[in-house]
Amino acid sequence: MKIQKKQISCISQMDELMEKYYDGLTTVEEERLLHQFLMKRDLPERFRADKEIFGYFDHKKHKPTFRILPVIRWGAVAAVVFSIVFSLQVMTNKHESNYACINGQKTTDILKIKSSAMASISDISGNVNEVDEGFKNVNNQDLMLQQLNVFTESDN
Amino acid sequence: MRSIKKYLFLALLGIVGISPALQAQQDLQISKVFDLYGNKKGAVMVELTDEMLDGYDFSLFKSITIHNNPQAADFIRKCLLKDQPGAKKVKQVVANGILTSVYLQLPRKGDLYRLILFNESFSPAQRITLIYIESKNDSDEVLKLILKKK
Repeated sequence: MKIQKKQISCISQMDELMEKYYDGLTTVEEERLLHQFLMKRDLPERFRADKEIFGYFDHKKHKPTFRILPVIRWGAVAAVVFSIVFSLQVMTNKHESNYACINGQKTTDILKIKSSAMASISDISGNVNEVDEGFKNVNNQDLMLQQLNVFTESDN
Repeated sequence: MRSIKKYLFLALLGIVGISPALQAQQDLQISKVFDLYGNKKGAVMVELTDEMLDGYDFSLFKSITIHNNPQAADFIRKCLLKDQPGAKKVKQVVANGILTSVYLQLPRKGDLYRLILFNESFSPAQRITLIYIESKNDSDEVLKLILKKK
């Protein structure tokens, strides 16, 4: 009996709220209560039409929400796939990192590449050893004699 | 929360997976020399990776030889000036106030020793040689080997 009374008072409350809603006088909280009521399974038949109307406006009111988890999920998957593909490419194309560009023409002939590499090493190591040359000049006997003669001439 | 951590970890793994593929010399200014002059006429550029080169054991060997290009020499000198901080100067030759030869031992990158060798000669014609080497062997040993080849 008490439950029935409660149900009746709830339905009459909803009736009032529905009227307020159609007059555009409901608050957000009241609309939420109405929505809750209309979503019930055991909704009285006479509210079915109102439920349909609410459903339409509810769809319109629903703001699109941005969820970050799918973005992170797809970003992580993309990063993993990209790194796997990139690493595979690097490993399979490793031989292509051995190359020479001679006057703008690229070659992958390993003999030409190695000979060009050895030529550049010879350029670096084949230059005059400036320290040794400097010492040679200092140790040069002729030079020493020349310099000594300067002093003997000045004595005379 | 656990799934966010899992996906962030996967993203980090992906980024870490890419980074070893990046070459160690890209942080150096001399990489611009190879990019700018490597494909030009009068230049010979070589890149060798993990190849045995007549007894040398390099992880990476990159060299460029440029003929008759004083601007290139000036550019290389500027790049070397920027790459020098923190490096050990093994040899330097300055003629008439201009750097004509330098051997630099760069700070290690991981387990790799790094060397830059530069030389400019004028006989019979102007010729610039720039070499960048990465090796797992001590750079002193690498230099000894190179200087022996006379």
